[in-house]
Amino acid sequence: MKSQSNQGKVWMKSLLCFLAGFVFILPVLLIVMNAFKPNGEILTSFISLPKGLYLDNFAQAMETMNFWVVFKNTVFVTICTVLLAGSVSFLGAYGISHLRGKISDGFYILFVLGQIIPFHTVMIPISVMATKLHLNNTHLGLILFNSGFFTAFGIMTYVGFLKTVPRELEEAAAIDGAGPFRIMMQIVFPLVKSATVTLGILFFLWTWNDLLLPNILISDGNLRTITVNLYMFKSATNAQWNLLIAGLVVSMIPIIVIYIAGQKYITSGLTAGAVK
Amino acid sequence: MSDFLYKKNKKFYLSLLFPALLLYCAALAGPLLIGSLPYSFLNWNLIKGKKEFIGLGNYIKLFQDERFIHAVGFTIMLAVVSIILSNIVAFAVAFMLDRNVRGKGVIRSFFFIPNIISGVMVAFVWIFIFTNAIPNVGERLNLDYLVNISWFGNADMSMAAVVIVTTWQSTGFLMMLYVAGLQTIPRDVIEAAMLDGCVGLKKIFRIQLPLLMPTVTINLFVSIAGAFKSFDIPLSLTGGGPANSTQTIALNIYSDAFGAYKTGYASAKSMVLFLMVAVIAFIQLRITRKREVQM
Repeated sequence: MKSQSNQGKVWMKSLLCFLAGFVFILPVLLIVMNAFKPNGEILTSFISLPKGLYLDNFAQAMETMNFWVVFKNTVFVTICTVLLAGSVSFLGAYGISHLRGKISDGFYILFVLGQIIPFHTVMIPISVMATKLHLNNTHLGLILFNSGFFTAFGIMTYVGFLKTVPRELEEAAAIDGAGPFRIMMQIVFPLVKSATVTLGILFFLWTWNDLLLPNILISDGNLRTITVNLYMFKSATNAQWNLLIAGLVVSMIPIIVIYIAGQKYITSGLTAGAVK
Repeated sequence: MSDFLYKKNKKFYLSLLFPALLLYCAALAGPLLIGSLPYSFLNWNLIKGKKEFIGLGNYIKLFQDERFIHAVGFTIMLAVVSIILSNIVAFAVAFMLDRNVRGKGVIRSFFFIPNIISGVMVAFVWIFIFTNAIPNVGERLNLDYLVNISWFGNADMSMAAVVIVTTWQSTGFLMMLYVAGLQTIPRDVIEAAMLDGCVGLKKIFRIQLPLLMPTVTINLFVSIAGAFKSFDIPLSLTGGGPANSTQTIALNIYSDAFGAYKTGYASAKSMVLFLMVAVIAFIQLRITRKREVQM
């Protein structure tokens, strides 16, 4: 009897929590719903369900916003940034954690300090420098500068995780004749997998969602990344809200698909990184 | 053995730092020390190209710049209000979800998705909520008040809009941290407290919240640093308007640097932003260090 009333309580609570979450995410759901309406219906009855499934919005929005080109650019820049920033961070952190004394502390503090510098403080010289070095309007520029910003944070995170790897393992491998590079890659790297996952996700999200750096560096519409493209798309749609909403939904889909696919890693990875 | 290995491999370890240092100098140290810092002493307009050393002139000017002062004020207001609101909501949600609840994963995702989509998307979603959905609800319910709010036409409502949207985006991440924090509180502590008659609100405020203080401090600082760099949401939501009322520090620097091309002056402002963020970071470092020692 008692367990039955407990069961009822659990369901009541679950329902309440679900409703709270539903209300919270309602703005996104409303946008998705309106992506299926023609412009007139959006203006007159935003909160009603669509009368039919009007799919023209998507085709037209994707064409106007040059979606596939931009999507490919974003995937390329993001993957390169994650790989470059991730590997440079790991190598640097491995160096710092294996060096001793003042050099090790000095480098560590240097990178910790770098993490404090806001992007808005360096964006002006970066745009000046990029123009001089012909890195503006290139994906290489985005990848290099982004990796530079992320490396400070990446090194801090990796150093924290590398502390937990017992040195005896590396010594044993050295006795067995493994060289320093092999020890680093085959013994230690697999042991800090959770840091790699955390950083990979963060670097991914930061690059994918970045507005300011690509906005400053890239003016050529064919080289744009997804976030800047969406930002620019608003003025290009001229109050054709159906196009903007469809473009917004289409831009949101990749990141939400990735979130659903990697949900387990994303939530545990993000909190592991922040609590560490 | 270990010393022998260290001597043998020292050069290898040092060489590992080379790529990181290169990127670090190119993206952070270089631009700061040979870019923004010296630029901030120049009267330099990138379009006119004229450069002139004026010492602290830019710094003196920015303290009399009403737009900048307003931007600092608005940024601090945005930081304080959105941090308080999002931490309260995040804690409440984490607390509800800590118990026996079905479908936790799905419910958490509902709160977390705003955090993983970009500020531009978040802002655009809300533009439609403010200008279409809310008036539409007002029409259905015959509430003229809801229909007639001018969200982006008047300063107070625009500020409120930026606060609401910022809070909405940051809640999910804080909730995750609170969920993780709540899980670290041992069950028997809570059960013992409940046996002693400590239940309901008393249990939250006397037992769980005090034990969560480490998470709370981390959360506060995570959100303070983020709020001071707030840019994407105000830019895409209000563009800083109306009449610059929702301009944050970052947005103010951006519009001076890339709209008016006042390169030297904007650099001075960006150095001030750096100092503000650095002070917060040092306070944070001291507090977290202290806590580590205690534990």
